[in-house]
Parts: sequence; C-alpha cells; structure tokens
Amino acid sequence: MRLLLVEDDLAIQEFLKRSLTEAGYQVDVACDAKSAEALAVEGAHDALIVDLGLPDADGLDLIARCRAQGNSAPVLILSARRSVDERVLGLEHGGDDYLTKPFALAELLARLRNLLRRSSAPQGESVRLQAADLQLDLIRREARRGEQVLQLTPQEFSLLEYLTRNAGRVVTRTMILDHVWRMRIDPATNVVDVHIYRLRSKVDRDAMRPLIHTIRGVGYVLKAA
Amino acid sequence: MFLKPPRGPRGTAAWRISIWTTLAFAFGSALAFWIVYLLVEKGVRERSDAWLSGEAQTLAEVSQSTPPGNLYDRIVEEVAELATNEVPHDRNARGQQPNSVFFLQTDSSVPDDTPIWVGPDSRIAFQKAIQQANLTPGTPESIQVEGYPSTFRVVVRNPSPGKALYLGLADQDAMRLLHQLTDSFLMVWGGTVVLGFFISYASARRTLMRVEQITETVARIGSEELDERLPESPKADEISRLAQTFNHMLDRIQASVHQLRAVTDSVAHDLKSPVTSIRGRLEAALSDGDPNRLEESVGEAIEGLDRLSDLLNTTLDLAEAEAGALRLDRTPVDLTELITRLSDIYQPAMAERRHTLVLDLEDHVVVNADPGLMNRTLSNLLENELTHLPEGCEVKVRLRAHDGAAELVILDNGPGFPPEIGSRAFERFVKGKHSPGHGLGLAFVDAVVQAHGGKISIADSSTGDAVVQAHGGKISIADSSTGGALITLSLPLSALQSTAV
Repeated sequence: MRLLLVEDDLAIQEFLKRSLTEAGYQVDVACDAKSAEALAVEGAHDALIVDLGLPDADGLDLIARCRAQGNSAPVLILSARRSVDERVLGLEHGGDDYLTKPFALAELLARLRNLLRRSSAPQGESVRLQAADLQLDLIRREARRGEQVLQLTPQEFSLLEYLTRNAGRVVTRTMILDHVWRMRIDPATNVVDVHIYRLRSKVDRDAMRPLIHTIRGVGYVLKAA
Repeated sequence: MFLKPPRGPRGTAAWRISIWTTLAFAFGSALAFWIVYLLVEKGVRERSDAWLSGEAQTLAEVSQSTPPGNLYDRIVEEVAELATNEVPHDRNARGQQPNSVFFLQTDSSVPDDTPIWVGPDSRIAFQKAIQQANLTPGTPESIQVEGYPSTFRVVVRNPSPGKALYLGLADQDAMRLLHQLTDSFLMVWGGTVVLGFFISYASARRTLMRVEQITETVARIGSEELDERLPESPKADEISRLAQTFNHMLDRIQASVHQLRAVTDSVAHDLKSPVTSIRGRLEAALSDGDPNRLEESVGEAIEGLDRLSDLLNTTLDLAEAEAGALRLDRTPVDLTELITRLSDIYQPAMAERRHTLVLDLEDHVVVNADPGLMNRTLSNLLENELTHLPEGCEVKVRLRAHDGAAELVILDNGPGFPPEIGSRAFERFVKGKHSPGHGLGLAFVDAVVQAHGGKISIADSSTGDAVVQAHGGKISIADSSTGGALITLSLPLSALQSTAV
C-alpha cells in the first residue's frame, strides 16, 4: 500500500511518516500543494493524507484538483480546526474521512484502514468473529469464551464486536464512542472505561489469559497475549 | 494614524454643508421668483392687451359715429386722455408720463388726409415703426419706436375701408413694475442668502463641534484608558445617540477586555499546571530508567496532553460560539433518541458512582439543530452531573415539547451550585472552588443553546421557590424536597413538529 502524505509541518510529517512506515505502508511525502499535485498525478497512491493548511494552497483545492485529474484515491483530511468546515463534511459523505488535530495515532491508522478497505473490493461480511478462544456469533448475537456463553447486554455485545473486529489493534475511547454509539464526543470523564470495565469483568473473569488490555493514554486492545 | 483637524473654516464639513445648503436655497428661491415673475408679466400683458383691444374698439365706434372735425379730434383726445388714466396697473405714473399712450388715425380714402395724432411729439417715428410692423387688425403686438427705451403694445382697427385707427401703450409701466419687483427681490434675496449662509454655517458648526469633541475623546480613549466616557447631553438627537452608542460600545469593549484579561490569566494558569506536571513526569521517567515506570509515565503524560487539548478545543469552540461564528449545520434532531443514546453511554458510569439516572422523556421531541453540537451540549450536561455530584445521588432528566419549544429539565438532589458561582455559572472559567473542570462546560452549553435560539437557566432547587420560578409553573418534575441543582434548557421545536403538535 502506497500513501501520499501532504503535510507542511515537518515535525508532524516526520512522525507520521515513521509511524506509517512502521505500520507497513510505503509513504511519499510532500510539503506543499504544488509538489503534492505533481506526485499525485502519477496516480500510484492507494490513499492520500492531506493537511488542510498548506503554505501555497488550501488542502481542499488540492483534493479538488486531484479529483479533476481523475485521481480517485480516498483522502484522509487532517485539520487543525476544531469545528470542521462544511466542505470537509461534504467530502466525508463522498467516502473520504477527516481527523482534527491533535489525534491519536491509533485513530489515524484505523481510519486509514477503513478508507483503504472501502476503496478496495468489499469483503464478504462474516457472520462469525474469533479471537483466541473468544467467539462471536453475529447473527444470534451470542459470545462465547471457550465453552462458556457470556451473558452480555446488547451494548456490551456491540462493544465486544467492535473490539474483536479490531483484534490486535488499539482503539481509542473516541473511536469506541463513534463506532459503538455513533457519537463523536470526547468525554472528559471515564464513561468509556466503565463500559470496558464491565465488559472485561464478563469476558476475562474466569480466564487465565485476559483478552482486553488497557493501553495507558491511548485506549484499549483486544489480543491474546 | 488620525487625520489632522482642518485649519480655518474652509476645510470643515460645516463649511461645505452651509455652502451647499445656501446654494440650494439660493437656487430654489431664484427659481420660485422667476416663476412668479413670468406669471406677473403674463398677467400684466393680458390686462393691458385687453384694455388696448377694448379702447380701440370704442374709438373705432366713436370715429364711425362722429363726423371728422374738431369735435371728433377733441373726443378722441379725451378718450385717449381718459384711456391713459384708465391704464389699470400704474396709477402713480398718471400725468408724469404723458407719452405712455398714443393714438393715431389715418384715412387713405381721403386724398389729402391729415392723420389725427394724440401722443408724444415725435409722430413720424411712431408712424414709421407702425408701417414697418405690418399689424393684424384686432391683435395687440409689440413694436419698437426709435428714441424710446421700452416697446409699445399697439392694436390696429379698420372701422371702414382705408381708415386705420392705432392705439398704443408703452410697455414701460409693466416693465417698471417688473423691474421694481426684481429689484426688491434681489435685495431681499441677497440678504437672505448671506444671512442664511451664516445661520446654517453657525448651526452646522455648533453641531459638528460636538462631533469633533467626540472624535477627540475617542482618540484619547484609543490611546489611553478605557475608563473615559463621552459626555451625553439630555437631548435625544442623532449626536447624543452617537455619543450614547459610543459609550455603550466602550462599556462592551471594556467588559471584553477585562474578560479577556481574566480569560488569559485562567488559560495561562490552566495550561501551566498540566504542562508542568507532564514535564515533571516525563523527566522523572527518563532519569528513572525503569521500563515499567516509563510506560506508565508516558501513558499519564498522554492523558495529561489529552486534557490539555480538550481545554484548548473547548476554549476555541467557546470563542467561536461567543463570536457568533458557530456554523450550524441544522437538521432535525430527535432529542428523545439522542438523550436515550447518551444515557446508554453514561448509565454505567453513573451507576459506578451509585447515581440513579431517571429519564422521563416525551416521544419524538424534534428540534432543528446541529447534531454534533447537540451531542456535545447534552453530553456536557451529563458530564457535569457525573463530575460534580457526591456519590449516590438521583439525576432526573425530563423532556417535554411545550409551547413550541423543547423543554429539557435536569434536576439532581446533590448539594446544588456552590454559592460562589451565583448567577455566573454560564461565564467562562467560573467554577466552584472544588470543581475539577476548567469552568468552560456550561459557558459552552450556553453559547450553543443561544446560537440555536434557545435559552438555558440554572437554579438551586433546594428552596421550593426556585423550581416554580424556573418552570414558570408549567413543568414541575420535582417536589421541593429533592433539593440540588436544576438546569432548564429550552430550544425551539423544529417546524415539522410544531405544526404536528
């Protein structure tokens, strides 16, 4: 997977490039709209990550020009502004996505994966999810840990489903609220932690090996180890 | 930065205003006079023409009925004399201007005719002028006679073939009248214009001096202190209103400057302490060298940074909301559904602190609002309850569509708002002494609600009065015994719903 990262802040560019490369992507970088356009014209990128505040042009104009040239790679927009421009929201409906700074790296990676998945051929929706000895039956909404059926509320099941779908990957609290409850809010209190705590008390209660792990300062991950 | 005040009167607006006013006045009055002049001239001419025609007719009849000779001459002379006296418009000229009327009778049918002449001595000049004029009988016309400054109106009659009777009247009387009129007008006009100029200059100057005064004061305020105010005269004219408006503006500016200072101080404080603690933790972790501690410290640092960024975001949002720059992407938002979802999120955390969350929601209460902002507003309110209540409280949330508005009431039986907050709960950085937040939550909620055209109020329901007051007696969810804080929020219903209800 080859990405084009357009970001003029060198510190952010550096850290994003390193993180994305570590995550297994091939990353081309551009510091301004002009060089970005020159790179994008090749059409060799699977996705674009574009910062809106570029020194020589508005990021949205860059995206519009790329689209006009037939580049249909999905775009993840980075915006320093808190309240997001309506035009960006418009883009989001068109299949692209945005993140406001500061963001958690885990969230950037998750959104990027999501975009790349959307742009490639849709995979067959599975009816079962599995991680280690945890099994989820999505049709019967039933979860088992080994042989034992877990007594979960519908919400807890949705939460577990989201964690299992992202097994091995860190998800942030914001991502959990967005995906499980369809709410883009950042609570300052521990509302999400309480949900996880309750879920964990059911999923990991008797198990020798806990599945749900807290990544301090970032979020949670469901993994076997 | 500022333009220098003009030197002398010529550069002033008062000067220009009075020049233009005077010009307009002078032109207008001159125009009015000119119209009057034309009308008078027309009237005088009509009257003298009517007189001429009538008298000429009479004379023609007399000349037919009276045989020529001395008798006739005398009759004609008397008629002419009488006629002179009968000239309607200038009685003063009687006698002094004997040559203002002339009469001439010629008869070409008599071979050796002596024309009958009554009038000034220079008959030849008149005869010559009459011959040149080629007059139509019965119609008065103007002729110019050599040696006379003004024209004569002349009418000719032909009582019998060959016989011609000319009666003429000098225009000079009419002219004199018009000249007098013009002269007196010019005198009065000139005086009025000059006087008018001075009056309008003086009054404009007086008025604009007040503007000048305002300018000076404002310039001083700009460069010195914000405490100064413009003098407000009791007159409620435009300039007083300008001064009042300036003073109000200054009040507001002063208030915002003070607020800005307070906010800057608070932000600086709120930023400094987490930055210090994050820095300290990271530094300690580095010097410690223990990998387990390192992980924990980094995690804590990230959490601290998240709180910092939350503070920044809220501050920016709030600044935007208060500047009226919130972009509202309005769609119908089902508050009932939204609150239900939020309660799903918050219920476990509430239960953790042994709170009970009691929902009493009317079905499908829909407002036309920005969904994202609504989410954050309502989550903010629940967050508040979660943060500030001591363990084991009851939080009641009641939603009703009422009077074209969605009324949301949040009531708890906790200790209520701290007394030091008083009525300032919606101001920035106002928070209770022991509150862990940064005092922006309610300010943000208030700004969003106002941007949506709604209103929000808080009360302490520990006294029964507050409940009744806040609800206007319409909604009461609590018996006064519950006590605690009460937040009432009202938003206009979406058009769809208000018509349906």
